[in-house]
Amino acid sequence: MRFLRYAARRLLFLIPQLLAISVIVFFLVRLLPGDPAYLMAGQFATKERIEEVRATMGLDKPLHEQYALYLRNVLRGDFGMSWRTSQPVITDIKQRLPATIELVLLTGLISLVLGVPIGAYTAVKRGGVVDRALFVYSMLAGSIPDFWLGLILIFVFFSLLGWLPGPIGQLDPIIEPPPRITGMIALDALISGRWDAFRSAFEHLVLPVATLILVYMTLIIKNTRSAVDETLKSDFVDHARALGLSRLTLLRYALRNALPPVVTVVGIVFWFLLGGAVLVEKVFAWGGLGQYAVESVVSSDYAPLQAFVLLAAVFTLVVFLLVDLAYFVIDPRIKT
Amino acid sequence: MTTQLLPDTDMRPAWPTRGRGEFRSFLAFARGRPGFLLGLVIVAITIFLAFFGPMVAPYPPERAIPGAGLLPPSAEHAMGTDVSGMDVFSRVISAPRIDLTIALSATVIAFVGGVFLGVVSGFYAGSRGIGRVASEAIMRGADIVQAFPVFIFALALVGFRGPGTENVIAALAFLNIPYFLRVTRGAVFQVRERPFVEAARCAGNTERGVAFAHVMPNALGPALANISPGIGFAILLSAALSFVGAGVPKPTPEWGSMISIGAPNMMTGQWWTALFPGLALGVTVLGYALVGDGIQDFMDPTKRR
Repeated sequence: MRFLRYAARRLLFLIPQLLAISVIVFFLVRLLPGDPAYLMAGQFATKERIEEVRATMGLDKPLHEQYALYLRNVLRGDFGMSWRTSQPVITDIKQRLPATIELVLLTGLISLVLGVPIGAYTAVKRGGVVDRALFVYSMLAGSIPDFWLGLILIFVFFSLLGWLPGPIGQLDPIIEPPPRITGMIALDALISGRWDAFRSAFEHLVLPVATLILVYMTLIIKNTRSAVDETLKSDFVDHARALGLSRLTLLRYALRNALPPVVTVVGIVFWFLLGGAVLVEKVFAWGGLGQYAVESVVSSDYAPLQAFVLLAAVFTLVVFLLVDLAYFVIDPRIKT
Repeated sequence: MTTQLLPDTDMRPAWPTRGRGEFRSFLAFARGRPGFLLGLVIVAITIFLAFFGPMVAPYPPERAIPGAGLLPPSAEHAMGTDVSGMDVFSRVISAPRIDLTIALSATVIAFVGGVFLGVVSGFYAGSRGIGRVASEAIMRGADIVQAFPVFIFALALVGFRGPGTENVIAALAFLNIPYFLRVTRGAVFQVRERPFVEAARCAGNTERGVAFAHVMPNALGPALANISPGIGFAILLSAALSFVGAGVPKPTPEWGSMISIGAPNMMTGQWWTALFPGLALGVTVLGYALVGDGIQDFMDPTKRR
């Protein structure tokens, strides 16, 4: 009951946040260096098309009406047309979204499953070889550009060793894609029992996911380390130790209490991952939303870009909301 | 308690600005820290190259040598040549000029804007009237800006405005303001409780005068310490923008755009075209981060020794 009340309150907070975001995204169009209708319609637009765009955006109306129009269209799922693909933006997005989600979720999950134990281990064995090696690694990981690391991995594992496929998207072109169920190719192949497709999809996932993990997992390791370290030093752990509890039990207590800050950092990791995914998708020709956004920028296709920014911010807000809710569940000290 | 009105320690700025003693203790501090020293060396090299890089380069960085495409590293071309026959080494050492110009201008603008907004929002937080409204509005604005993943927002800003150096600077400056804002606000919260602020009020200063003449100079420390890693972060972001084609246009020597030129070659085995600019980029960002860490430790008296 307490949880429901808290969740309802947080959901209520979401509304003004979403509105504020939509205002910012709406104003992006004002940055265009020239007539928005002309520019949004694209390079090969006819006069009629330009007038059509002008009408749908309501450019002849006052600003607040334009915004109301924009909001209404967005709520109906109408993000305009992409002149590059000649499709409604929403169709393009539906096609590409699963590929990006697959990349981001898989990276987030693996980073969590690997990062938390590693972080806890280094907190226990402070100053050990692993701890010092990880310190250097996290320093480097914060400085290395993810897109460059992806290219290096391609060079080593594709060009040099030939162990993994090159950067040609999610599936080998000679393999027939599995039937579309979730849109995530590896998962679809698994569901429909297409082992050849699964194998290929898996091989194509390794390098992009490894790139993102190598760069962003250090955030989870670092934060778990400091959170566990702090709880290990706290009074209740001293007390438990004085009672003669085993080290494993101590660590379990400490981990339980270190959980809230770790959950918070997971939200931050996803926030970073979205940006990283854009670059990594570009490197691996992944064909997801990130690559779509980059192609839209390069070819001045503004409607998809606007939709993508909005989605990215909404995704972030939802992730932070989930983090807050999880925080509430695992930390009973939080009051509504 | 009688001397509490103007205690000596409270008059000291958080940032060590005065005297040779401070400088000497800084040297002693740096000597014991190899990471900090390494960072200082890297930063010094990039600054040197920003001024003189194109002059000491063995080849003009934007000249394509006909028939000399994709040569591997050799005595003539220390880092090989790229697909159009431009000397990679010359381009790598010429790039700091544009990369540092972008990062430094963006960070300085963000510093000025962030400190100003941070002082306003921190000093007037919890007060009454227009100040409180401004303080709240600033913080909510920062929240909203930071709801957007930073690279994606940068991509969108530059995408709508069009590529080009000025637009990259403007976008990065805008996106970095919230970081400087937040650290300054935190520092202002501490400084504004100190007795000398009360003293400044008693001496007849206006609220605005107290905020900007007395509180602000003493709350600059965290923002100043944030400049160096901020520059590193801005270099990384602008390189990423150039990599996807939304930053500095192509023949200009810039690390991100060099990596993008070299990207197709990595699949066919000509590793030198993308490896070296990426290394230069990573080492530079690392250097600025190390310097930032060192400065932060230096300002924290408990970590000085």
